[in-house]
Amino acid sequence: MNLLLSDDYLLQDYPENITNSIRSGHSTCVRFNRQGDYLASGRGDGTVVIWDIETMGVARKLRGHSKQIQSLSWSRCGRYLLSVCIGWKAVLWDLKDGKRYREVRFRAPVYGAEIHPWNHHQFAAALFETSPVLVDVTERAEIQHPLPSVPKRREGEPDFPKQTTTAIIYTATGDHILTATSKGRLNIIDTKTKEIIFSEKIAEKSLIVALRLTESGKDLLVNSNDGIIRTFHVPNLSAQDLDPDTIQLPLEHKFQDVVNKLRWGHVTFSASGEYVAASAHNNHELYIWERGHGSLVRMLEGPKEESLFIEWHPHKPLLVACGTETGRINIWSVTPAQKWSALAPDFAEVEDNVEYIEKEDEFDIHPHEEIQKRRLDQEEEDLDVLAVASGGGRPEETSTNAFPMPILFDLGESDSEDELVHVGFGTLRRKSPGDQDEGDATTGGEKVPAKKKAGGRTRKR
Amino acid sequence: MESTPARYSSPEGSNRDAHDRTPPSRDRLQNQSLSIRRGRPSSRSRSRSPLNSSPSSPSSKKRYRSTSSSRSSRPQTRSRSLSSRSRSRSPDSYSRSRSISPSRSRPPILPDYRPHLTLKGHTAAVSQVRISPDGKWIASASADGTAKIWNASTGAILDTLVGHMAGVSCLAWAPDSNTLATGSDDKAIRLWDRITGSPAHAVGGGGRGTTRGGPTGKGPLLGHHNYIYSLAFSPKGNILASGSYDEAVFLWDVRAGRLMRSLPAHSDPVSGIGFCRDGTLVVSCSTDGLIRIWDTSTGQCLRTLVHEDNPAVTNVCFSPNGLFVLAFNLDNSLRLWDYVKGSVKKTYQGHKNEGFSIGGGFGVLTDADDGYKVEEDGDHKIRSRPFIVSASEDGDIVIWDVVKKDIIQRITQAHKGVCFWVDVNGGTMASCGQDNVVRLFRHRPSHRIKREPNGVSGLIEHAGNEDSPDIDMVDVELQQQIEAEAEAASPGQNVKEEEL
Repeated sequence: MNLLLSDDYLLQDYPENITNSIRSGHSTCVRFNRQGDYLASGRGDGTVVIWDIETMGVARKLRGHSKQIQSLSWSRCGRYLLSVCIGWKAVLWDLKDGKRYREVRFRAPVYGAEIHPWNHHQFAAALFETSPVLVDVTERAEIQHPLPSVPKRREGEPDFPKQTTTAIIYTATGDHILTATSKGRLNIIDTKTKEIIFSEKIAEKSLIVALRLTESGKDLLVNSNDGIIRTFHVPNLSAQDLDPDTIQLPLEHKFQDVVNKLRWGHVTFSASGEYVAASAHNNHELYIWERGHGSLVRMLEGPKEESLFIEWHPHKPLLVACGTETGRINIWSVTPAQKWSALAPDFAEVEDNVEYIEKEDEFDIHPHEEIQKRRLDQEEEDLDVLAVASGGGRPEETSTNAFPMPILFDLGESDSEDELVHVGFGTLRRKSPGDQDEGDATTGGEKVPAKKKAGGRTRKR
Repeated sequence: MESTPARYSSPEGSNRDAHDRTPPSRDRLQNQSLSIRRGRPSSRSRSRSPLNSSPSSPSSKKRYRSTSSSRSSRPQTRSRSLSSRSRSRSPDSYSRSRSISPSRSRPPILPDYRPHLTLKGHTAAVSQVRISPDGKWIASASADGTAKIWNASTGAILDTLVGHMAGVSCLAWAPDSNTLATGSDDKAIRLWDRITGSPAHAVGGGGRGTTRGGPTGKGPLLGHHNYIYSLAFSPKGNILASGSYDEAVFLWDVRAGRLMRSLPAHSDPVSGIGFCRDGTLVVSCSTDGLIRIWDTSTGQCLRTLVHEDNPAVTNVCFSPNGLFVLAFNLDNSLRLWDYVKGSVKKTYQGHKNEGFSIGGGFGVLTDADDGYKVEEDGDHKIRSRPFIVSASEDGDIVIWDVVKKDIIQRITQAHKGVCFWVDVNGGTMASCGQDNVVRLFRHRPSHRIKREPNGVSGLIEHAGNEDSPDIDMVDVELQQQIEAEAEAASPGQNVKEEEL
């Protein structure tokens, strides 16, 4: 609704500077829900924290894992959240009551898992050193279907080298699964037949770390260990006359840093898919490329720490990154400047001086009654105060059908103590004076520094 | 100014002309607004065309007299409005009814609120009353320093919320109807659990030297430097907006009880505040005559609305679809603004509002409220009729048609003295006033008129009940029962003391 009034579309659509920094324990991975109002963060100690992006405060804490969280995935409605930890376990949380809706144990550590985009009772998981699985949790006792990592060998072809699936995601419709292997191969699996219908080597002998799709599912982002980020166009796999033999996956761009030979930590598409952002190993900056020309548009300089896991907001120019050392979640965004004409309706912001030409009747004096009467007579317009206008920015239905997250009041007490005891996984928490002792710390990066300070003080008092 | 509970109190037996006498303990807002009118013209003349700056106090007085004269000629306008209504009953006006076969055609929905219950218990004027979003509860805030929660169907008092050190001016229901926020002249905002009636909050994370939270960690939200005057929850319930006499708007993180943002909003007390339906905009208004629209996420002012006459604004809310803003002005007018274009679309007149901060808002009646079965099929879409309702300083409650601007119902003398606030939720309407009581009204479905056992009610003209509030809908038995209960549980006994 604020889009009706703002000129934000004139603003740049990639983030500019750190606007917020939030922390609860040591975050290792983050994920936005589809509406973009909640951010789930997985911590090193296995706790999952749900942040409310509007208030930058904790909305819920989920305890059930004892090992570092590897990946997170939201259901479409925003009510269910799937979290997997390196301790061979996946939990599907029901955020209505914060309880474990389903719990699944695997026979190996999990690389990552993703919920079916339309059915929260199904998810796919990539496991360490074994074949990936498709898990059906409709019943309390789950069914695990193993999926292949290499296509079936045809006559006369040499054997595929042994490889395991390292990344797994669903396509937009959920009818197919995209997987990537440790030897740089990309597979498309039909979820019904559980067969590989397409397979291609996309990265030469290097492990593929991550796959990401845009919201529309038409563009694929691949991060591999060879220091190259690739984008592909995904064909329409749900076409009626789909012939698996004619599927093509055209490469669009390759992004790399040839000079510094950077290895990329994590990659993400921007909201519209127009930009690609990446974090790098042994580097403090975040890189943003633009996909039209494939050029680097921005290097975001943040705190002096490496950030690995990054995530772009589903519809805003807002980028979230987890610092590897502090476990802090840094939020990059744009801060629009206050328009002064909005404060004083009699004034308008103009580029140059404008000669004002007064209207003929501008300084005529009329009796007040007459003016009032004239005004009232002009109010004959028909208007509707109930109908919701369609198309003023985001489609309305996504926000109205979304699951309403319960508002909890008892979050604060439950936290701070234990957080100080076991913080981080395998890392020691450094107690520096700048570090806040509170469990969840928020520092507003508002543009007025004085105000920021005041906010911090009221919180600490 | 400081003896706050006396804010709404007026001499006993105050009546319509109470506002002319100007008792010493008059409403602050009136003083404010008066100072505006006297003090501002020079500055206004600079910023605005001389056309507007010329009317100083004498002509503005004339303006008020002219409005009162228009009030005296009200019967005429009503007869006009009646005729227009009778016209509107013809099938043409409702496009949908044209497609319906004559035997099944439905008359247009017309608000017809009848007195239902009187809730007694407050010992001072009741400043605000609000029906919970689920329609089951009613909360009232009073100058006696308490807020009360009532059952909306039986009128039974459920809880008295004690904790504020001064009069309570405003309250707001969380969207889940389980939490109530109250704002008081003691500069504190308190959150209450509706079920337990105890403070619902863990401010400051419970411990670690947080003096704000108190030992139990359930303290009020502190931060404003002056009286809290208006409150609103965001549609998700995660943000609470508060407007205060310190001229600022604060946005609070409800979960943590933390001040998220403070907006230097106005140059006079912030008298009203509201969220739009998707929570991205906050509207605030002030007796400085400005209405400002803020972006919730960035805290920036996106638009300022000022009427040419610059009347003080005492209350503001968004329309149900969030495209318009309804402002209550201290020149006996309600104005509906198109905030995108920045223009007034409608002006509603016929009530009296010159000195007090009174409230009201939008109401919607649907076929379900009118006694029809609600089912969507080819012929029958669920119709809904929006209307605008406001309290009036003469104790009336006035309901207008949104588009035609005519009064479609007037409940006369709903309260002795000033009626401060009206809230509507479907077929239920609640009002409060200077006479220390909360009144409940029920919409009488037009569909059921014929089936009503006492023939009288079927004949009553909708707007014709000018002489006295008819009591046919008053549930006499229930009312007596409630009063007996209230006597048995003499004042103060059912009060839950809060550990402070």
